[in-house]
Amino acid sequence: MKVIRCFWPLFVAAGLIYLFGNAWGTIPPMGKLLSPFHGYLQNAETAVPSGKMELAVDGLKEAVTIWYDDNAVPHIFAQNDEDLYFAQGYVVARDRLWQMEFYTLVAAGRLTEIVGDAALAFDRKNRRMGMARSAATIAEKLKTDTLSNKIATAYAAGVNAYVDQLRYRSLPIEYKLLNYSPEHWSPEKTILMLMNMRNTLNGGSNDDRLTNVLAAYGPDVIADLFPDYPGVESPVIPVGTPWEFTPLTTPPVPDTTWAIPGDQRMAMGTAAPRPEVGSNNWAVHGSRTASGLPLLANDPHLQLTLPSIWYQMQLSAPGVNVYGVALPGTPAIIIGFTKDIAWGVTNVGSDVMDFYRIRFRDSTRREYWHDDSWKPVVFHTETFSIKGSAIVRDTVLYTHHGPVVNQGSEASVGNIPAGYAMRWITNETDGSDMLTFHYLNRAKDYDDYRQALTYFVAPAQHFIFSSNGNDIAITSNGRLPLKWEGQGKYLLDGTRASHDWQGWIPASQNPTVKNPPAGFLSSANQFPTDTTYPYYLDWKFTHSSRALRINERLAAMSGANADSLRRLQNDNFNVDARRILPTLIPVLASIDSIRKLSEFTVLSEWNYRNDAQETGASIFEYWIPELRRALWDDEFPMAGQMLYPSLDRTFSLIENDPVASWFDNTHTSTSIESMSDVVAQSFMAALHKLREQFGPLSSNDWAWTHVKHTKIMHLVPAFTSFGRTGIQTGGGGEVINATTATHGPSWRMVVQLDRDWPTAYGLYPGGQSGNPGSPFYDNMIDRWATGKLDTLLFIKDLKSIPKQIMYQFSLKPKRQ
Amino acid sequence: MIGLYLLILVVGAIASYVGPWWAIAPVCFILCWWKGKTAVAAYWISVAGGVSIWLTYALYLHTAAEVDLSSRVAGIFPAGLGMDGIPGIIPLTFLAVLIVGLVSGFSGLAGIRARAFINRS
Repeated sequence: MKVIRCFWPLFVAAGLIYLFGNAWGTIPPMGKLLSPFHGYLQNAETAVPSGKMELAVDGLKEAVTIWYDDNAVPHIFAQNDEDLYFAQGYVVARDRLWQMEFYTLVAAGRLTEIVGDAALAFDRKNRRMGMARSAATIAEKLKTDTLSNKIATAYAAGVNAYVDQLRYRSLPIEYKLLNYSPEHWSPEKTILMLMNMRNTLNGGSNDDRLTNVLAAYGPDVIADLFPDYPGVESPVIPVGTPWEFTPLTTPPVPDTTWAIPGDQRMAMGTAAPRPEVGSNNWAVHGSRTASGLPLLANDPHLQLTLPSIWYQMQLSAPGVNVYGVALPGTPAIIIGFTKDIAWGVTNVGSDVMDFYRIRFRDSTRREYWHDDSWKPVVFHTETFSIKGSAIVRDTVLYTHHGPVVNQGSEASVGNIPAGYAMRWITNETDGSDMLTFHYLNRAKDYDDYRQALTYFVAPAQHFIFSSNGNDIAITSNGRLPLKWEGQGKYLLDGTRASHDWQGWIPASQNPTVKNPPAGFLSSANQFPTDTTYPYYLDWKFTHSSRALRINERLAAMSGANADSLRRLQNDNFNVDARRILPTLIPVLASIDSIRKLSEFTVLSEWNYRNDAQETGASIFEYWIPELRRALWDDEFPMAGQMLYPSLDRTFSLIENDPVASWFDNTHTSTSIESMSDVVAQSFMAALHKLREQFGPLSSNDWAWTHVKHTKIMHLVPAFTSFGRTGIQTGGGGEVINATTATHGPSWRMVVQLDRDWPTAYGLYPGGQSGNPGSPFYDNMIDRWATGKLDTLLFIKDLKSIPKQIMYQFSLKPKRQ
Repeated sequence: MIGLYLLILVVGAIASYVGPWWAIAPVCFILCWWKGKTAVAAYWISVAGGVSIWLTYALYLHTAAEVDLSSRVAGIFPAGLGMDGIPGIIPLTFLAVLIVGLVSGFSGLAGIRARAFINRS
């Protein structure tokens, strides 16, 4: 009794320490988190540093000087390449460690380790796509590639020099809130980071949806409504550009071009390609610029997040001086410029993901039928460690095509299960992509650019280029499968050798053009070429509206300067509205009840601009999806895993074939709807939605910026207060300023080349720091929203300190 | 009394700076063993010491910071921690001092009670 009376406070104190020192479910250890000495307040940054700091680290050969400018951009000056990548790894980790590791956990299907079994389905899907397994194989192979391995290893050593000095109190806040710790970095993680980007850019497919359409309607409807080339297009490689090569013989189209799904539909729906993920880039030749030397612009459109996907920096060492943006976790500058050249990228988006229906021999699924023989299936076990729970295993079956993403248990005939194996370029990369950027960072002219591109595999990009030798060029670059015409438009038959990919288009025959007569080049994810290109790339690319507008404005431009290009990046003109409203407005006007509506007046008087304050843009942007739904969803229901015909085909049907039977709503048996019925009904449906969400028409509540509601949220969806909402911008998915609710220009750059020293401008919607407690977490968002660009500080050498430099941070090798 | 409070303040602050988040606990335990007069006083002086240290440092860090991180952090917690119009530092600091108050109070009490046990035996 006496013991209890004397010691109960001790037990209570120990119990409290245990209670508040540990996580309970999703509640982090509150004692640790709220202690001002260790917890989140340690992440609240006080004064911006000034003066000089120095740190000795293991693994450096020579001293590295880093100058941070007033936008927290590091300018790294190293004395050799390995130190340069080491310092890059260190510096990026210093600002973005949590983010870069998070991407690798996503690609590796390891989110369950930090958030528990809620992420299991997501992780399983990513594992079945094979990214983690491929990254491990590539990392192993990388060891034989001396230069790539050196780069990735030096970068990893830099990251780890930072990780090793962390204690709980200095951990990025997300680790504290989610209660885990960073792992050591490795070349494999860099590869996973690239896998994540490939998945974002190339990780979707419509093969199963279009196969469902084919099965339901047959080839004539496909040819009519899902054609292989749009009616209105302005391809990346200008029409009329000659192909200066002798093409390989294209493989013949086999008798059967698809796997008839029967009752073995793909049970696991694949993600559709994401139209909101795209980009713009263009280059203007000196013949059209005020300075007589080229201008180049690029704005990649990705999901807008905090921390931002991009990180600005300057990398300098003997033989290299480059400025631009890097991907956290990846060495080198991805989009940027040197003294002599500038380059940028947009996604090609050609078909590099195909699905093969697999015929297994029996229910053990140990063999599958291919090319007249039974071939062995490779079993690979994926292990999921789940936070606060047991380990879960999933066996993934591998064929020579790739992983069976859709396994037999989900679809079977008799006792023999079927499945769909996926062939995807991402699983055939080799880690050499890094070399493209390594060499572009050192490029001086067109020849260097072409040489650098030869190392790039995936995701295929339109690499735009300009040099102070007055060259401009663009190349649709990456490893592109050699296919028969239309191969992979539908699900393929995994038993036929003729359905395998037939090799590769020679890299030198990838679409490319240099110094075209028009004096400018551009890309906006549209068709890379016109129909004269001898190889099949895909039947569908991004809608051509941005491309059309960019090209018509560039064609009208002379004496261009950097600001002309900046203004073009912010162009809100809606080409689709200009195309279709002159047809649709008279249809609406012919209906008395609609003509009297003030919403109709607003739309008919709209200037076709998706500017922030326009209400006409809100009506149009709400109406077009309703119009497509009203027209197509009866025949091609989304819920039935089908696909609507493209926007271009929708418009051409309205323009040229207003009496087509497709306008009839097949759900109504007693009436036959006309084009005008569909137009009117969908218009009223859009107004109904707008009124329901925003009240009656008013210039404030219906202003496009308010209706669109652009937000930039933290990578952890639950951390809503770490994001920014209600950002005031115009734009839209089909206009050059491609700012939607969640996606948009994730980096805008304009480079004016010069014989002596370039002038460049850039900005991204975020900040250099990944720390929500830093003034540099989201400081660029408001400037970005107004369409401004910062002048980028590109420093020649260490001789004199520019006035924008806030502080110097030096890394010194540790004395042994 | 004041002496014990000041001792906890000084030693506790140093220990919290270099030690783990619960470093205040052994400080209160030892100092109350050594200097504590009554159980009630040991408890409340420890509470006051622990709370003073955390409160002062938390408010200092909060006011010195350029960004209101507390409101961002409060916003991700459910149950009203991130209520509109109330700066996040208020609910978070309230929780923080509740935690440190309980931990230091019971540690101080534990110190004086443990001394009593040893002395009596």
